Amino acid sequence: MSRDGLKEAVHDPLFRMGLFLFGCVVITLVAGRLLTPFAPDDMSFIPLSPPSWEHLLGINDGGQDIFTELVFAGGNSLGFGLICGGATLFMGIFAGLFSAWYQGLVDQLIMRISDILLSIPSIMILIFIAALFRPPPVILALILAVMSWPTLARSFRAQGLILKKRLHIAAASQMGAGSFYIIRTHLVPELFPLYLVGFAGKMRMAMFMEATLAFLGLFDPSRKSLGMMISYALKYYYMDIWWNWFAPPVAFLTIMIMSVTFLAISMEKVFDPRIRNTTG
Amino acid sequence: MNLRINDLFVSYIDDNHVLSAVNGVGFKVEKGHITVLVGESGSGKTTIGLACMGLLPDNAEVGGQIWLGTQMLTALGHSSMNQLRHDTIAMVFQNGSANFNPVIRVMDQVAEPLVSRGTKKKAARKKAGSLLTRMGLAPRLHDRYAHQLSGGQIQRALMAMALILDPDILILDEPTASLDSVTKSFVKKIIKEEAASGKAILLITHDLGLARDLADKTLVLYFGQVMEETCENIMENPGHPYTHALVRSFPTLDATRDLGGIRGNAFYRYTHCHKKGHDTHNHIQTDTVHDDDHVPVFGCIFRPRCTQVIDQCSHAIEIVQKGTQKIRCARGGITRLVRFDGVSKTYGERTALAPLDLEISAGELFCLVGETGSGKTTLAMMASGGIKPDKGCIEFNREDIKKRAVSQITGVVYQSPMESVSHRLSVYDIVAEPLRIANTEKTQVNKMVLRALKRAQLSTAPDFLHRYPHELNMGAVQRVCIARAIVNEPLFLVADEPTSALDPSVQAKVLKMLLDLQTELGMTLLFITHNIGLAKKIGDRVGVMLSGHMLELGAAKAVFNSPCHPYTRLLLEDDPEDHPNLSGRQNETSTDPLCPFVSRCALADPLCFKKMPLKTAHGKGFVSCHRFDKPAEHFACGSIKGSRVAGEFA
Repeated sequence: MSRDGLKEAVHDPLFRMGLFLFGCVVITLVAGRLLTPFAPDDMSFIPLSPPSWEHLLGINDGGQDIFTELVFAGGNSLGFGLICGGATLFMGIFAGLFSAWYQGLVDQLIMRISDILLSIPSIMILIFIAALFRPPPVILALILAVMSWPTLARSFRAQGLILKKRLHIAAASQMGAGSFYIIRTHLVPELFPLYLVGFAGKMRMAMFMEATLAFLGLFDPSRKSLGMMISYALKYYYMDIWWNWFAPPVAFLTIMIMSVTFLAISMEKVFDPRIRNTTG
Repeated sequence: MNLRINDLFVSYIDDNHVLSAVNGVGFKVEKGHITVLVGESGSGKTTIGLACMGLLPDNAEVGGQIWLGTQMLTALGHSSMNQLRHDTIAMVFQNGSANFNPVIRVMDQVAEPLVSRGTKKKAARKKAGSLLTRMGLAPRLHDRYAHQLSGGQIQRALMAMALILDPDILILDEPTASLDSVTKSFVKKIIKEEAASGKAILLITHDLGLARDLADKTLVLYFGQVMEETCENIMENPGHPYTHALVRSFPTLDATRDLGGIRGNAFYRYTHCHKKGHDTHNHIQTDTVHDDDHVPVFGCIFRPRCTQVIDQCSHAIEIVQKGTQKIRCARGGITRLVRFDGVSKTYGERTALAPLDLEISAGELFCLVGETGSGKTTLAMMASGGIKPDKGCIEFNREDIKKRAVSQITGVVYQSPMESVSHRLSVYDIVAEPLRIANTEKTQVNKMVLRALKRAQLSTAPDFLHRYPHELNMGAVQRVCIARAIVNEPLFLVADEPTSALDPSVQAKVLKMLLDLQTELGMTLLFITHNIGLAKKIGDRVGVMLSGHMLELGAAKAVFNSPCHPYTRLLLEDDPEDHPNLSGRQNETSTDPLCPFVSRCALADPLCFKKMPLKTAHGKGFVSCHRFDKPAEHFACGSIKGSRVAGEFA
């Protein structure tokens, strides 16, 4: 399933597009970080000066190099997305497969918790916590993960329930295999493609959420973020600097989210059995 | 006069080996009775016969006593023994014509004992002639030479020679080995007559059928030891695992299954005494083990080939009385490996398995037959620990499984090979999985996996080990599954329709391999199939199931040769598909505890619609039917075929 699926995905134009954009984003971030001679918090330049060969995107109102800012902010967004996506995936696998394997009380418990979490709008909680406690971004990413695993857990659980009925799993359990062994060696690897889909989806959501929180000014101001850049640039909308200060973070965020979205949609098309079945 | 053998030891001594041929054998050959010694070749049968005759070669060392009435034969000298031979104790040797002098006419040789004791030659020839005629040799044959007679005729001439002085004790060594069945039954009749006339007969044979037909008492000999002494029919009631294995290997007309064979090789029992200062010790030698490989012998001598070995088997074992049998076995004869005690299972409303009692003995092949949905698989999965019964319990013999978990002593082969393995695992990983689950050591895993693959007749090349199931054909995948099932050397193998997903040619090969493996590893096999022909070919015992009820259970030959339950009879018809009664399937939702076959049964009477029949003991099994012993003319199937079947069982 996985090997054939990946082959199929590679031939999908959407997947190729997504991969290309994502590659560009990563290359820009890495190359930019290596090439830029300035530190992101260096405020020693003339504020609001237009772009030049030295400062590719000019200088902002605080005397910082916008290109350097952009590169670091992009990295932060991506990092937030990766951490949150990874943590969500981990919790989703854990909850979904345990719930599928044990069923009964464990299943009930996990699924009811997921119901509760699904009914709470995560953005409200995040704003609340960010405003009240000012936690570091990693903690916020993890909190977001805690809020968003239920959707993944549900899809993994559904697939797990189907898998569980397979004969080779019954055979392993007849051989005396414990639950951990079966979940580890037979259930977890079997759903690998679904993890890619789930991870990409959650990562996209997390990056957008990070931008939102930053836009609202709920992060430490010294931490570079695309959302914060947009928010500051908006204050100077009356000046003619939107194309070098406002547009780049917006475009960058859009491309980043778009690339991951493309990948997610494309993989979902190939791997998610529900969509597979309806589209043939 | 009786012949009594007390604690007889016979060893053959050569340069540096002592072959102990007879090891503490004691029994009595009574007047008017036929005592039979059975066993494989090399088990010391003939040595015992020769010892009784005082005809052992010079390198034989004899211990113990042989009593002929009040005379101790072992203490007699050559001349007094010569007096007794032929006169009181006579022996018919094996290897027919080798016992005759090729240049003397047969009748003269038969008359020789009489002549040597002073009878006139003419009278002696006359007596020899009448005796040969009684043995069924036409007078024209009497004056021929030995090489002019056929094997069967020679054998009967030998009998005549042994009987000519009318001895009290007659020892027959393989008297029927080279005879066809017609001549054999003739010889059998003569042996019976001689016993009836008051002779004490010791019959030495490897022919279990002969033993069954003639024996008043049977002794089963294995490498110089009596494993079992019984007055019962050894074909029907073998007490010792060795006897059971012999019976499985012996071809008879009424047996339905193929020959089983005994695992391992027969071996010779040597006491080793190197002259160059080594200790004297016992060791065994097989055909395959090189002379220098010393395999020490201790405990039960049948242990290397037994199907129910436990630790105690390595201690010396005395022969003990058990009911009507005497058995030399640490476990008191054939044990049961698994017992189902009133197990039942329901899925929602539907009863998958009605309360069931079943015992499966160690080393046997129990075949479960029935149509789909009859609860066969449910039973198998319970036996292997895959699902838990709602009620009742499944007990394994504690001594057998020791500290191993049930999952470690059972292997399962499933119906659909492709589904029963993970498509993500390579051949090696599939076979290694049970070992990994049991936390076996890594080096050990490698060794065991390769051994299992070899046993399943699969390649052990690295290329093959790294293949995935979808790269193999169905037959190969099923072999991989079988290798997985046997990799940790289980005692109990559950095979759930292991060959029904395969095409016929592959099916035959896989099945043969599975049965060979059963013999070789000494496993107990629970075989599930809907194919009654297959069950007939392979089963030692058979259970017939329908809708979760065991309708009939018994020895395969009883069930197949004289089925009791109407459903079994239906199954045994050539082509049950044509049968009008089969088209109406039973009402599965019926909650009344009735015979599940009642709606299709041609024999059903009002009683059958009122209550569930009880299990009635029948032969060695049971049948669950109100009307199984009713006249079978009523068993009208509504077809010509049916009436023929009815006729057969009338």
